[in-house]
Amino acid sequence: MTTTATEPRDRAGDTGPAEPPQRLRTRRPGAVREALAGYGFLAPSALLLGVFVFVPLAGALALSLQRTNGFGEGTWIGFDNYARLFGDPVFWRASLNTVLFTLVVTPGSMALGLGAAVLLNSVLPARGLFRSILILPMAVSGVATALIGVLVFDQNSGFADSMLGALGLPQVDWQSNGTAAFVSVVLVTLWWRTGFNMLIYLAGLQGISRELIEAATLDGATVWQRYRYVIVPMLGPSTFFLVIMNVIYSFQVFDIVFVLTGGGPRNATTVLVTYAYDNGFVVRDQGYAATIGVVLLVVSLAFTWLRWRTSRTRDLVG
Amino acid sequence: MPLTRRQLLGAAGAASAPLALSACGGFSTSGGDSGSSSDSKTITFTTWGTDSELKGFRDAIASFEKANEGVTVKLNSVPYEQMFTTIDAQLQAGNPPDVFRVPYYTFGSYAGRGQLLDLSTHLPDGFSDRFTPQAWAAVQNGQKPFGVPHHTDTSVILYNTEMLDKAGIRDIPKTIEDAWTWEEFEAMAVELRGSMPKKTWPFAYNWQGNGVTRWLSWLFEADGRFLSEDLKSAAIDSDAGRKAVEFTQGFFRKNLVPPNSSVKSSTYAQDIWYSQTCAIDWAGAFIIPDATDTLDFDWNVTFPPKDVRCAGDFGGNALVATKAAKDPELVAKFFDHVTQEEQMRAFCAGASLLPTRKDLVESGIDFDVRPELSPVFVAQAGAVLPQDSGQVASPSMSNIITVLKDQLEEAFIGGRSVEDTVKGLQDGIGAAVAQ
Repeated sequence: MTTTATEPRDRAGDTGPAEPPQRLRTRRPGAVREALAGYGFLAPSALLLGVFVFVPLAGALALSLQRTNGFGEGTWIGFDNYARLFGDPVFWRASLNTVLFTLVVTPGSMALGLGAAVLLNSVLPARGLFRSILILPMAVSGVATALIGVLVFDQNSGFADSMLGALGLPQVDWQSNGTAAFVSVVLVTLWWRTGFNMLIYLAGLQGISRELIEAATLDGATVWQRYRYVIVPMLGPSTFFLVIMNVIYSFQVFDIVFVLTGGGPRNATTVLVTYAYDNGFVVRDQGYAATIGVVLLVVSLAFTWLRWRTSRTRDLVG
Repeated sequence: MPLTRRQLLGAAGAASAPLALSACGGFSTSGGDSGSSSDSKTITFTTWGTDSELKGFRDAIASFEKANEGVTVKLNSVPYEQMFTTIDAQLQAGNPPDVFRVPYYTFGSYAGRGQLLDLSTHLPDGFSDRFTPQAWAAVQNGQKPFGVPHHTDTSVILYNTEMLDKAGIRDIPKTIEDAWTWEEFEAMAVELRGSMPKKTWPFAYNWQGNGVTRWLSWLFEADGRFLSEDLKSAAIDSDAGRKAVEFTQGFFRKNLVPPNSSVKSSTYAQDIWYSQTCAIDWAGAFIIPDATDTLDFDWNVTFPPKDVRCAGDFGGNALVATKAAKDPELVAKFFDHVTQEEQMRAFCAGASLLPTRKDLVESGIDFDVRPELSPVFVAQAGAVLPQDSGQVASPSMSNIITVLKDQLEEAFIGGRSVEDTVKGLQDGIGAAVAQ
């Protein structure tokens, strides 16, 4: 990214601020056509992005300022929906659950992914097989994953309680105890997401020069020090990418919660997107649902911006 | 042949054009026949359904087309999960089907928001006389019919014969008059509890998900209401309301039902009963074919308990026409045809559903699968009163369902007091109908 940032200046032949008019006169022949070609290549993606992302976003923003009943034109009510959010205890519960879920799942799936990547980057026998096994959950849809979770965490006849019982441990009310239900959602998500994190870290690990590790070893670094001061910092771009992806995923979690717990018991697993879905498609209060969506977007953007500004290693990406 | 850059760009542009154009072209919802047809002699009809229900609809359509030369009914079947997001999207986009199928508890959301065709002037004289009063009440909005009651269903008790037998419970009600009282039912459940292993329960009730409206059967049995007679205010803050909440909360407090069978649970009562985790389940007649095919234990049915009176949920579905239907007279003719005695009998017998016609309720019908069970379901459907089914047709029902779920979950799992729960229900339902 640092190289691409300086590229236009070099190509335009700009030698400094003292000669700005030179830029037009010294443009390389064919530069305009090349730029047009570039825009031409960009156009299909920009069009798709515009039609399927930016137009709906503008629509959602407009909808969030209206009172709707699912049909016909809404009534413009200014920021009433936003004011209503502040006094809505279920919204705050859903927000708290979403943040808690993000705080647990993001570092959890990254730590597990890094651990698996380190193991599978070593001379482990049959590591190709293990890599495939760990990546397999990525190929399973969220709904199917959640259905597997239902079989595992059914508190009457599920596999998890059978295992606990066989080990002589107390059985857990995975579905009727709020904390246990939340834990079951986290565990299923970790199972689903670890493979993706491992894959990114594995690619990052394989990009680290062997000479660098060897130099650290010759300098007397212990295994721990090599990881702490060489490998983990070198994985900065992967970590940056994963933090953003995991946080965005966690903010948007829906299918696993919807199928596994339905947001219950007593809203213990209700997250912002399931709450928006209930409002938009069950109650048909789409204006209020759009308001929740806009808040979610603003929080996601704010987090991404914050992470972008504070990351010291992001510029190494790409 | 080597390509020049210009040729390459030209080819790339040509290749990407369809993509870009397709992005502008919108997207279709499921099924290609769902929108309005330009042919005025065509009715577009969107529904979901089991195989036997769809067969019933196809047979009825074939019979209608045969009786009306040149008329076509285009059936568009969609999965239930997509049914109402599809219908809502089509209504908003202005290209809804002429006719669609809708559960009675969802009917009011469409009728009350001006999306359906008022059939008052299109149906033949005396049309309403063919239906039971409770069925006709379920398709009214502002005293006008906005649909036809195509069939109904109601929940009865399904029991695992061996589990009850093992507990020594053999005196099972045979007629609706002999149905257990609430107290007798609870005593039977407590006795059953005492004879069952730890991880099994006497019963599970089918109030999960949108089935939360089935909790209202307890309220109706206590002779209560949740809406006033004009359907414009809440009426659940009553002795009957408190009694129904207290009695059903006791199911969890006394460990008579699995803790994961509350109103917001993702585990359905049917699955709990299928896995023999409980001895008794509440379910509608629609379950009969699947249970007969799937279960490897003996099971039978009996009547739900009664309190001040017998009552039940008015399940099943209506057929409605959208306001934009091209040919309202033809649609009314179609509704008239599919609710004739012969058509309704065939549909209900094949799909294990209950009729809404008076004559069929009186004469009874025989389900194709386990016909000996049909009298129990038909008699129980007769216990639903028009005042009960009329409340469920409220335009605010989708909001009321959310209130019921939230408040009952707090009472059942959170242990909230009866007084607080009834107050929460009264306030929530009041706010829902005021919107």
